Amino acid sequence: MTLWRHEWRLLTRQRLAVVSLLLLAVLSIAAVIAGLAEVHRQHQVIDRIQPQQQADEAAIARWVSVEGDAGNAAYYTAHATWDSPSAMAFAALGQRDVAPYVLRVRALGLEGQLQESESYNAELALPGRFDWAFVLTYLMPIFLIGLLHDSRSSEREAGRAQMLTVMARSPRWLWGRRVILRVGLAWLAVALPLAIGAIAAEAAPAQVAPFLLISLVYALIWTLLILLIARATRASVANAAMLSALWLVITLIVPTLALLAINDRHPVRQGVELTLAQREEVHAGWDRPKEDTMAAFVRLYPEWADLAEVESGFHWKWYYAFQHLGDVAVAPQVATYRQALLARDAETRLAGWVLPAVGVQYALHRLARTDLRAQLDYQDEIRRFHEQLRRYYYPYVFNERPFREADFANAPRWTDRPDN
Amino acid sequence: MNPVARVCRNDLISMARNRVAVVAILLTILLSIAAALTSIAHRDANADMRERFQAEADTRFDGQPARHPHRVVHYGHFVFRVPPPLAAFDPGVDAFTGNSIYLEGHRQNSANFGDVRQSSLLARFGTLTPAFVLQILAPLVLIFIGFGVVVREREAGTLRQAMAQGLRAPQLVSGKLLALLAAAALLGAPGAIALGWLVMTEGAPLLPALMLALAYAAYLAIWAALILFISARASTSRGALLLLLSIWAAFAILVPRVAPDLAFAAHPAPTRLETDIAIQRDLRQMGDSHNPDDPHFAAFRQSVLDRYGVERVEDLPVNYRGLLALEGERMSSLLFERYAEQLAAEQRRQSHFALMASALSPTIAMRDFSMRAAGTDLEAHRRFLAQAEAYRYTIVQQLNRLQAEVLTFDDDSRRNSDPDAARRVRIDTDNWQALPDFEYQAADPGAQLRSAAPAALWLAIWLGLAGVLVMAAIRSLRRSVA
Repeated sequence: MTLWRHEWRLLTRQRLAVVSLLLLAVLSIAAVIAGLAEVHRQHQVIDRIQPQQQADEAAIARWVSVEGDAGNAAYYTAHATWDSPSAMAFAALGQRDVAPYVLRVRALGLEGQLQESESYNAELALPGRFDWAFVLTYLMPIFLIGLLHDSRSSEREAGRAQMLTVMARSPRWLWGRRVILRVGLAWLAVALPLAIGAIAAEAAPAQVAPFLLISLVYALIWTLLILLIARATRASVANAAMLSALWLVITLIVPTLALLAINDRHPVRQGVELTLAQREEVHAGWDRPKEDTMAAFVRLYPEWADLAEVESGFHWKWYYAFQHLGDVAVAPQVATYRQALLARDAETRLAGWVLPAVGVQYALHRLARTDLRAQLDYQDEIRRFHEQLRRYYYPYVFNERPFREADFANAPRWTDRPDN
Repeated sequence: MNPVARVCRNDLISMARNRVAVVAILLTILLSIAAALTSIAHRDANADMRERFQAEADTRFDGQPARHPHRVVHYGHFVFRVPPPLAAFDPGVDAFTGNSIYLEGHRQNSANFGDVRQSSLLARFGTLTPAFVLQILAPLVLIFIGFGVVVREREAGTLRQAMAQGLRAPQLVSGKLLALLAAAALLGAPGAIALGWLVMTEGAPLLPALMLALAYAAYLAIWAALILFISARASTSRGALLLLLSIWAAFAILVPRVAPDLAFAAHPAPTRLETDIAIQRDLRQMGDSHNPDDPHFAAFRQSVLDRYGVERVEDLPVNYRGLLALEGERMSSLLFERYAEQLAAEQRRQSHFALMASALSPTIAMRDFSMRAAGTDLEAHRRFLAQAEAYRYTIVQQLNRLQAEVLTFDDDSRRNSDPDAARRVRIDTDNWQALPDFEYQAADPGAQLRSAAPAALWLAIWLGLAGVLVMAAIRSLRRSVA
């Protein structure tokens, strides 16, 4: 124990080491606060839109319910959906700034609506967010390099290494204690603010634990790398240069090369193609014989077989039938597009096994549910909600049942994902 | 030999003998070449693809069969933004902003399919482009090469020797600065060649390309001066390296990420959903077309009747439904424009706010200047959005005018009940072909550069500061040797 205390005293006398550890803690605290503020803002936006949405629906209900035409109700009402940030989203804000987390959909063809973008300031999104995941992945390794690159070479340069090795009961433990103390403190500087932030965000211990574990493993990986390189009898300054070059290569350069390779392997022009195709399908619906459209629709929704005949030039049931058939027709393209996106995501995970920075970012954003897959999950939730909406409107439209204020109130409501 | 040249030559020789420095420079140059090649290929592929999509969309639009004009309003049109030639040098926000918009009546859709939203979070690590190499990597490599440029000689004792032999501090510092600048020029050369290539073969505008080359030269010179200064002040080369690395991490990585958070907090912008709701609300207040007693539309109707001197809309020589469509579109598009301007103003305030962080990091100024001069900033995207909206308005109103002038009110009212009327309201394909095609007009180079002026000012301030640092380096050398 006295030896530990002695090591601690040595550390506190090194101004550079103390300042580095404090700075790392400050950065981690700042990142946690910034993350919590951003998540708070997102919650506020979601709360803020509720009364606005209600007023919008009420205004539509006022004029639609006079005639009670359900077709108008379904056509004009935009239903709000939202994707609340998970409890741990503050630690890894991820892609939530570039993809919408609030989106309104109407009971018309859906696939085009799902591709709507958020109107965010791209110039500010460009450098990436300042969050805890960033401090951990990019900054902690730099601090570890600063703290550890000279743990042995500085003693050698001071001419003490020989003496220390001879005097210590176990030379291995002498260096070991030094490294453990420094890495442990660096990890605490990063991890403690996160743990406190998680309490503030009311995250369950089981949700926080993986973050702490990942950060520890990441710290250990870097420690290992640094010790491996610092083992060679080189000057401290050469160690520092070598290690920061290594940091540059594995956290900045190789990931950009990996992005090029992965995006090249899985092109996603299907996105544009599927919206073009959906428009063609939906609009071809106007020109196709009405019986064909209704027959195709009834194959999917046999419960409307008895009411599928359209006599006049225009009927809402025919209109909503071909709107939906447009979605059905592009389903294969939607699946291909989705596959390509998932393939990009999967290969990023694979790259993560070789590139620690990528691996950590991937894992954290998956756990925080702020990644590409979380975006796709949100879209799937919207698809399910849209199906509910359509099924709610169909009986009114097909039976020509009047749609009144109460029917607006009873329409399906978006519910947040249960795990949020 | 001139003493400055001698110092410079000696430093260059020692750099050339330093295996790590040589490898670092060579790797960076290779990386720059790879960045330039992939970036040019990427831009060309994007431009090709978007042009092809545009051609396809035009063909489909022109090839529509005989239809009711309002059907065409809802069929809508797609427009695509082709990235400017300099996007191959600095793609700016191109990967973030959508590059295709679906245009239709009554609605203003967003630009969709930005690359970042379609990529894994790897996209947020940065993209390998000449601009990225010059902004982020080149300064770091310059640090590796140059951190010891003065302090190593101090450690070795040769500094005192040289000064004792009559070398004056300004000469020593100038020589070393020249050596660092030579290394910087080597690091920047592939980027400069890429710019030249884009001007000569891809039709990139000359003046912005030239300004980009100058700005990056200034940026690297700022780093060279900073490195020289730290190296001249440091007592150990390790201290110099660690300090420079921290400065780099703060300038290139940390401050650029913190600044946006502060800008968002200072100038919050509404979500698209809220804007959509607000537009619907304002539209209802201006005039509710669904309300038969609405004062705005009652007045509109009366003004039309008065203009033609008739009592009933049925007696008008034009189709009143078409006139209503024209009026409705005019109102909604007025609001689209108003809200787009509000959002643009808010986002401009955010960007200006974030640019103030240039006081803490020259990298922010450099990045801002670079994408504005390259025409890949948010302003360029907004120009695309505005032109797309203007185009949307033009074709929708032309179609509404066709509905008002070519169709009769009687036919239009009975088109759903009378098959003959339904046939008569369909007008010919050549009407669609007569509508103009979308041509995106890029900003002229002068406007691009004007919008880059604030960032240029920051760079100039940093360059001035660099001069001060060089003077300070000279002074501290004099003191340390004296």
